[in-house]
Amino acid sequence: MKVVIVGCGRVGSTLANDMAREGHEVAIVDISRRSFDRLGESFPGQVVLGSGIDQEILEQAGAANADCFISVTNGDNRNIMSAQVAKEIFKIPRVMTRIYDPIRERVYREMGLYTFCPTVVGAAIARTFFESGADAADRARHAVAVSGASGGA
Amino acid sequence: MRQIGPATQSPYQGLPEVPERPAYIIVIGAGKVGFYLTRHLLEGGYEVALIEKDPARAALVAAQLGSCASLVGDGDEMAFLATSGIERAGVVAAVTGDDEDNLIACQLAKRQFRVPRTIARVNNPRNVQLFHQLGVDVAVSATELILGVIESGLASHGDVLQIPMGGSKTALVRVTVPVGQAVGRKASEITDLASERLLLIVRDGHEVAPETPLEAGDQIVLFTRRPASDFMLEVPELISPAAR
Repeated sequence: MKVVIVGCGRVGSTLANDMAREGHEVAIVDISRRSFDRLGESFPGQVVLGSGIDQEILEQAGAANADCFISVTNGDNRNIMSAQVAKEIFKIPRVMTRIYDPIRERVYREMGLYTFCPTVVGAAIARTFFESGADAADRARHAVAVSGASGGA
Repeated sequence: MRQIGPATQSPYQGLPEVPERPAYIIVIGAGKVGFYLTRHLLEGGYEVALIEKDPARAALVAAQLGSCASLVGDGDEMAFLATSGIERAGVVAAVTGDDEDNLIACQLAKRQFRVPRTIARVNNPRNVQLFHQLGVDVAVSATELILGVIESGLASHGDVLQIPMGGSKTALVRVTVPVGQAVGRKASEITDLASERLLLIVRDGHEVAPETPLEAGDQIVLFTRRPASDFMLEVPELISPAAR
């Protein structure tokens, strides 16, 4: 499938590499050229330099015929806006975004975006580990890994 | 949308009237736009809160405006917005230099706090349409406004003024009739104007009947969907090819 990733940080670059190596068509967008260094030398996908909230940049990344989209820059608002452009303008079927702020995450999840909040997930795993130990925490992590964070909080 | 009346009516009738009891207005972003907007609103008797996330900038602005009007905090941080009395605000205007912050502030104001009217400054003109689609009531692109004015200055026959109306493609355009073939003819006889919605014809500061033969220097105000650049360069030529 065709995947557009906005933000070439740790999550973005890891996902881009994994999926490109499995044969998916991947385009990754970032405003900083240096961030693409994280992809390593032989990244088989497309890199696009520019802002992920800019419709022209997303067009260059092939958003018009993408199947999946995720925004994982370090700005919550940028992620939210970029995901809304992907969903409402480019009509990408599967759009996901990372929102660190738990309150904003709840609001936009209610508005129909598929969101995940590392803050909520991280805190929940820590609490499970403190109260019930490593096995329970591993199970919680596994549940997150297979189902996403949609059941959180 | 409001139906625009015949040419005898003023084009300004559609503008909202100032409410008798001034509304509470929240301005987000204390840059140049936010600062002057807040000062203007305060002078107009409105109750205004100006929200700015940089404490140094907020302190500077507070000293100039009076501290009651300014608050330090993040305009899209929900917990903070809740302390600003946002739920009784009539208008939220998000005017920071970042489109994403303005969009999210307006969406939160509208969705979480039921603010009836949200206004966003748009820095990238392509986002005007998007902001409307995503629920912002009014999206203002300073870039677009300034471009319109600059373009009008570049038009070959000078005096064409274009005012974009919100996110729609329709704009209010003022064309000055140049010396040439248009003079002595009625506006409705000029092919290029016949298909447009004429609002009024002004001569020496007074409105004249729509079927009056035109004189050089008459100002024609119309609503059009045609792009400014196209309109401003072509209309004077079509009115008066001989005047070049």
